[in-house]
Amino acid sequence: MATKTIKVSEKYAWKWYEKFYFMSISLGMFVTLKHFIKSAFLRQQVTVSYPEERKPLSSRFRGLHRHKRDEEGRERCTACYCCQWVCPADAIHIEAAAVKPEEQHLYREDKYAKVFNVDLLRCIFCGLCEEACPKGAIYLDGGIPMPDDSRDRLILTKEMMMEPTGGKIIGERL
Amino acid sequence: MVNIFVDGIEVSVDESKNLIDALKEINIDVPHFCYHPKLEVVGMCRICLIETGMTKIDPATKAPVLDENGKPVVMWNPKLQAGCNTAITPGMHINVASDKVKKAREGVMEFLLINHPLDCPVCDKSGECSLQNYSFSVGHETTRYKEVKRNIPQEKIGTNLLINHNRCILCYRCVRFDRDIVGVHDLEMQARGNDTVIAYTPPNGAGSGLLDHNYQGALADICPVGALLNENILFRSRVWWYEQNQSICHGCSTLCNVTTNIKNNEIYRYMPPENPEKNGYFICDKGRFSTSDFSRDRLFSYLLKGHASKSKDVLPQIAERVQLAHNILVIGGTTESQEDLAGIQEATTTWERLGKAVKWEYRTLDYMWNNEWDVQIDFLLMKDQRPNSAGVRALVSGLANRNEYESAVKAADLIFVVNEFAAPYAYRTDNFEELKQNPLYRLLEQNNLWDRVIVLGTHANSATASALSAFPVLAFPEKAGTFIDKKGMARKSQVSLKAPQGLPSSAQVLAALNRYVEQNAAVTV
Repeated sequence: MATKTIKVSEKYAWKWYEKFYFMSISLGMFVTLKHFIKSAFLRQQVTVSYPEERKPLSSRFRGLHRHKRDEEGRERCTACYCCQWVCPADAIHIEAAAVKPEEQHLYREDKYAKVFNVDLLRCIFCGLCEEACPKGAIYLDGGIPMPDDSRDRLILTKEMMMEPTGGKIIGERL
Repeated sequence: MVNIFVDGIEVSVDESKNLIDALKEINIDVPHFCYHPKLEVVGMCRICLIETGMTKIDPATKAPVLDENGKPVVMWNPKLQAGCNTAITPGMHINVASDKVKKAREGVMEFLLINHPLDCPVCDKSGECSLQNYSFSVGHETTRYKEVKRNIPQEKIGTNLLINHNRCILCYRCVRFDRDIVGVHDLEMQARGNDTVIAYTPPNGAGSGLLDHNYQGALADICPVGALLNENILFRSRVWWYEQNQSICHGCSTLCNVTTNIKNNEIYRYMPPENPEKNGYFICDKGRFSTSDFSRDRLFSYLLKGHASKSKDVLPQIAERVQLAHNILVIGGTTESQEDLAGIQEATTTWERLGKAVKWEYRTLDYMWNNEWDVQIDFLLMKDQRPNSAGVRALVSGLANRNEYESAVKAADLIFVVNEFAAPYAYRTDNFEELKQNPLYRLLEQNNLWDRVIVLGTHANSATASALSAFPVLAFPEKAGTFIDKKGMARKSQVSLKAPQGLPSSAQVLAALNRYVEQNAAVTV
């Protein structure tokens, strides 16, 4: 197909029929009409009414942090500080403590995270904590982070992140 | 020095040393767990296996037999030898990196890791663990062991010591350390084979009390794995976060060289120095954990009758008191560096020039009056637990005896107490009972003398609260200085903690006070 070269140094001289914009407008109206018919009559609309309705996320989507438990319902996190160490945004704060004998059934090792906070205001959702975790305890699969008007609610505590029971096996994403 | 052949290369080594140490000097690392330069050789861990051999000698001619290339033939021993237990002989051939040695090490490492739980993420030793290091450098990345690992629960065997039997590789270091260095026979190996554990065997029979000596930190330190752990720093940090500085320990007048472990401008512990061969392998618990609570209750503001105030308000008022005083008594100085002592002395000469009767006494505690400066508690720790008592003794003559000191305290118009109530960083507000035992505190309390006491202190406590005024000063880790140890050697300490900007040392705060004093004196004249 021969290309039409327009010299930009010179002002383009409109043809008389181009001055009516008839062709361009009808082309545009055709696209509009096409989608109107598709969504109004053929139920093929592409938008959803977010946030009531949500589209499925990719399995690799990095969203809110989730703490996992193992098959017996024990917390996987052993407060090894690997995620805190690797975090480039310095968003994770951990305080470790020794597990008391009467609480031993809740944890896998004798060390647990007494405090585990993720500061969403600092987090850049890079996923390095997920990669660094040797126990498969933290995954960024909690969906899209929602805005909030309180600073406290944007600092995730362990209780906010902990999934009730079960959870993904180590290395498995989704 | 003799010449030996390491991997076919002729090197010169010191034959009086152990083979592992001698090779370390020429930068050849032989892996080892049970070997320690200060402990007797036992050869338990078998990771230091090396190939040894001698040049073949023709019995008839007594000359080395040469092969077709003209090189001497080496008669290799058929079995591998433990490197730590091999004597250095001139002309010996050893292989530390041959395939046979590497395979043997891999095998030994696999055996050592059979019952090891591999819980490095949880283990406090991780990062400074020999087993971890050698597992990465000479071990194999996978294990063939499929059976269930031995699981023995963790035990508390010392007042500050935990033992995790699963991590133990039975290197016998702790037993030898307790027996040979500390001199107590209370750790022993029990049972046989797979059931072998290190057990605490107290002298009065099993179950009678806990291991309680001053080297529990050193026990955890020489443990090449994370089997022995100190309870007071358990899970508080990870070792790779620590900033390390070379400094000296302020815990007693031995002034051991130490490496500081600092995180977020807080000292977690002292560790033995980086060059232990020169500076000593061990430090005691008293020194190691002396700064663990250092950052609590630090005094950062000037206090006037217990209320926080500013130096601009406090110093002129105290300067007026100095102006009016006739007898000034300075107490303390054993915690201060030589530089600070010189500053305090300069302040006293200033006051003398203004016509005051100034006395300086550095002895406050009982052992000081009994002249027990050289009494050792154990092989490192001294009864004299002040860093610079030797320096202050050389500088200050002090008063004649205790009675004279007590009457001087009662007669003084103004008493400057330099760091006595915070030294050695033990007397905080929550430790009031201990502070009440302090003879100087008792003396001031009984005679109700607090309205004439000015405390130069590092930590806020009931003494700083009840004194007329308290000046915050830099503490030991926050300033560099020279200290005189028990042998009379000058030792330099380094700045390891960042102090708040503008916090003065005791010399600087007295100099600032004396600027006001001299201003006032100039006005009145």
